[in-house]
Amino acid sequence: MITGTGVTKTYKQRGDVLGGRTVQALRGVDFTVRKGGAVSFIGESGCGKTTLGRIIAGLETYDSGEIVINGVPMSALRPRRRQPYFRRIQLIHQDPYSALNPTRTIHQTLRAPLTLRARQTRRSDAWVDDRAEELLSLVGIDPGYVLGRYPHQLSGGMRQRVVIARALTVDPEMLVADESVSMIDVSMRLSVLALLKDLRERLGVSLVFITHDIATARYVGEDGELYVLYRGQVVERGGTEQVISAPEHPYTQSLLSAIPVLHGLEQPGPERVVPTEALDERHPDAGCLFARRCPFRTERCEAERPALRRGADASHERACFHAQRRSVIPVEAVA
Amino acid sequence: MTTTSPETGGHPGAPSPPGLAGGPGDMTAPGVRVRDLVVVYRTPLGELPALGGVSLTIEPGTITGIVGESGSGKSTLALSLLNAVQPPGRISAGSVEIDGLGNVLELGGDDLRQARGRHLGYVFQAAQNSLNPLKTVGKQLLDLGRSHGADDPRALVRDARSLLERMGLDGARVLDSHQHQLSGGMRQRVGIMLALVLNAQLVILDEPTTALDMITQATILRIVREVHKERGLTTLMVTHDIGVAAEVTDRLAVMYGGRVVEHGPTMDVIGAPSHPYTQGLIRAIPRLSGDTAEARALPGRPPTLGTLPAGGCVFRERCPLRMDVCETVEPPPVLVDRRTVACHAVAGARQERVVREERVVREQERVGREEERA
Amino acid sequence: MTLTTPLAGPPNMRATLRRNFWRGVARVMRRKPSRMAGVAIVCLFLLMAAVGPMLYPAHLPRDDNALYAAPSLAHPFGTDFEGTDVLALVVTGARYVILTGLATAVITVALGTALGLLAGFHRGRWDTALMRLTDLQLTIPGLPLLLVLSTVWKFNSPLEMGLVLGLLGWGGVARAVRSQTLSLRERGFIEAAKGLGLSTRHIIARELLPSMAPYIAMNVLIAVTGAIYAQVGLFFLGVLPFDSNNWGVMLNLAVFGGGALTSTAALPYLLAPLLAILLLTLGIVLIVDAMDEIFNPRLREE
Repeated sequence: MITGTGVTKTYKQRGDVLGGRTVQALRGVDFTVRKGGAVSFIGESGCGKTTLGRIIAGLETYDSGEIVINGVPMSALRPRRRQPYFRRIQLIHQDPYSALNPTRTIHQTLRAPLTLRARQTRRSDAWVDDRAEELLSLVGIDPGYVLGRYPHQLSGGMRQRVVIARALTVDPEMLVADESVSMIDVSMRLSVLALLKDLRERLGVSLVFITHDIATARYVGEDGELYVLYRGQVVERGGTEQVISAPEHPYTQSLLSAIPVLHGLEQPGPERVVPTEALDERHPDAGCLFARRCPFRTERCEAERPALRRGADASHERACFHAQRRSVIPVEAVA
Repeated sequence: MTTTSPETGGHPGAPSPPGLAGGPGDMTAPGVRVRDLVVVYRTPLGELPALGGVSLTIEPGTITGIVGESGSGKSTLALSLLNAVQPPGRISAGSVEIDGLGNVLELGGDDLRQARGRHLGYVFQAAQNSLNPLKTVGKQLLDLGRSHGADDPRALVRDARSLLERMGLDGARVLDSHQHQLSGGMRQRVGIMLALVLNAQLVILDEPTTALDMITQATILRIVREVHKERGLTTLMVTHDIGVAAEVTDRLAVMYGGRVVEHGPTMDVIGAPSHPYTQGLIRAIPRLSGDTAEARALPGRPPTLGTLPAGGCVFRERCPLRMDVCETVEPPPVLVDRRTVACHAVAGARQERVVREERVVREQERVGREEERA
Repeated sequence: MTLTTPLAGPPNMRATLRRNFWRGVARVMRRKPSRMAGVAIVCLFLLMAAVGPMLYPAHLPRDDNALYAAPSLAHPFGTDFEGTDVLALVVTGARYVILTGLATAVITVALGTALGLLAGFHRGRWDTALMRLTDLQLTIPGLPLLLVLSTVWKFNSPLEMGLVLGLLGWGGVARAVRSQTLSLRERGFIEAAKGLGLSTRHIIARELLPSMAPYIAMNVLIAVTGAIYAQVGLFFLGVLPFDSNNWGVMLNLAVFGGGALTSTAALPYLLAPLLAILLLTLGIVLIVDAMDEIFNPRLREE
């Protein structure tokens, strides 16, 4: 289990002669991922979801806030002592092409972490090769086919499975999947998503799923929680199914409305919001961060920043003064 | 179909000499007929077909989506419409007839260059990055005009500005901007403007929304649809995302392994797909409602140039309806329920249905005759 | 399990990989005739360096009756001012030249790669310190320094020569390797290796280095040619004292002693070492072309 409270992160952008500007990637984010649970972070590019995922996987530092892993606050440990905790949280990269070393065979790629593990747990060399085969079978590929091959000889879907197998070499408690299928061919995406779902059920690993594609988040973690991020702030969170079917924040509603409708199978939702496009991300930070793009904004929104508050349902929170349920997702077409 | 200009001539398909400066609307939406198009790529393994005899008719005035995965040949097909296949690729057979232009594959040199701006507008795959970073958009617009002999730069700028404003941008500001000052969605709109500003009536959009955010994507798709309607265009949209195609297109062509496997009205193709590949593709889309367990992955992987089978059906390796005949005979496209489908199983089922219907009719006739006799 | 034969054991697997690698190298070399020619030329010179001096007596015979003789069957490139066979001089002189070249290349690339990797991988203070050192090295004017050094040092051994040239030449490689490292370390697989807790040594030796291999190999070859030019140049200028056979010495004697630039008599004596240098450089350049394909599995296996 991992919890974060008030996690903030600011990037300095280089560029201008006068020191450049800073970008607030995360503005005090709270989150909880339970053991075996599934949490999805969704939002557009630049909303901070990737930064958050990297912080959770221990690949990025944060400016303030606290992260607690299995009851141990990370701030109490020196960086070197944090590593064992973060090692059990493995990031699955977006790009399976750069995530595997092109000069090493799959066998070499899997062998390195397994050998390390064998040494730590005093296991034999034979275990290493057995385990490599076992993990590949677990992620649904034929070990005999891939072990001796180089990454370029495999399809994108297969590479992503190898990346997942490599992450499993350290027996992780949690996988952080950052846009893990966006670079894979459409017909093969679902099988990788199904694998992640399956691993969660079979191995009990918890899953942090980061994506802009809400439908894939639903597929992988429909029983989990969904966090909607906008400019580094959580604007809505709740049960995945609940947030999708009854979104209350206008930003969530815009995101859901922007999903293409499969005409022929579906009809647009009755309250589909006409999304307004990003104007200028550099506008001042006063008030609600979404106000400029919001079709329902009032004067109050431009003056005051709404906090994350409970709605009618105790488990469903959103940061909006004018929160209102709207049914925006497509509905089945009537034949 | 409405056009922006009142003096729309209305000579359907009338050839309009390229190179003449004309106001908007002196052309009507052209139709496109691709016949038995074969494009091969030279590789160390010999010449391999990226398109294996594609035939496709694009009705004037429609938005047609061309959907396929990597290696399906969709981008090669789009480039063929411009006769712009680059080496090591080569168009080895077939024809591409465009109303008002004739067979594009026979055009060359200056004619082709002129046709590319005035008749065919192309929005490139990475339109977000296809602008020259050193020149303002306006300067690039004037360069484009000059190379096409537009005699009135003022009119050109005026058209460009009104187009940009139509798409919700501050035209004057955008024309004064460099590429880095524009967001991804703005650049995409500039790409569309540059494709349309010379009054091309056939517009090809190659993956117009990849790398754009969801909301920006929705905005661009809305703009494509509106501009298509207002200017009376024939629009072709190449995409890997069947959802994007479903959202905006009237007709849908599904490509696989260098073939069009299914082509028909979007509503029909999405609502009741015929070809097993289309069915699999649609079933593999995670949805926002309904039972997630209904989504099913398509087994196997799409073929690459090197792994395409030499004979028979290109999809048979992944096909649940595979039969013996699929190993040897390539299925020809047949007309089934208002659409063309290239599949032995589908064609067979239709054949069976026809036979069964005939049998029923004959049976009824026999019964009728017997009743008469009785 | 029938399919997993290459997995019989780790050493076995490694041997298979090594065999596949060399088979791949042979395939890459055969792809273009020019590469085979390059290999043949370089092998010829290596052979010359290895066994050349053994083919001739320690003191090459002189023929006082044939000073600056024209090319003939007995003396394919004629003779020098003492009547020594020019071909014999070229063959025996190869060892010094090639040894210097190799020594320089090894030092340049080893130092440059190590410092570049260290700087690029650790960044921060290491990077700043090492890069200032590199800048310092790059600003050292090589030729004047060598002139000064030669007054106190005789450079009798080619390895000494190589050491000095190597110490003067690693800066460029270090800078280039650093920038390569900086871009590679952002790749997913390096980050993944760190996330899996693999040691820094493993990451640098097994993940980073192989990806840079084509680059490093190319630099080795280019450094060899550079070193050959540099030392031949030094000897030709006569700034270094000499008492052994060397192509640079030959050039020096041909031009300043034999007046090869003004008379035709010493022309073969001048052309022979020049030709040798040219041929060797050509051979190396022809091989450089294959490096990318050799070390990139995708291009190698095709």
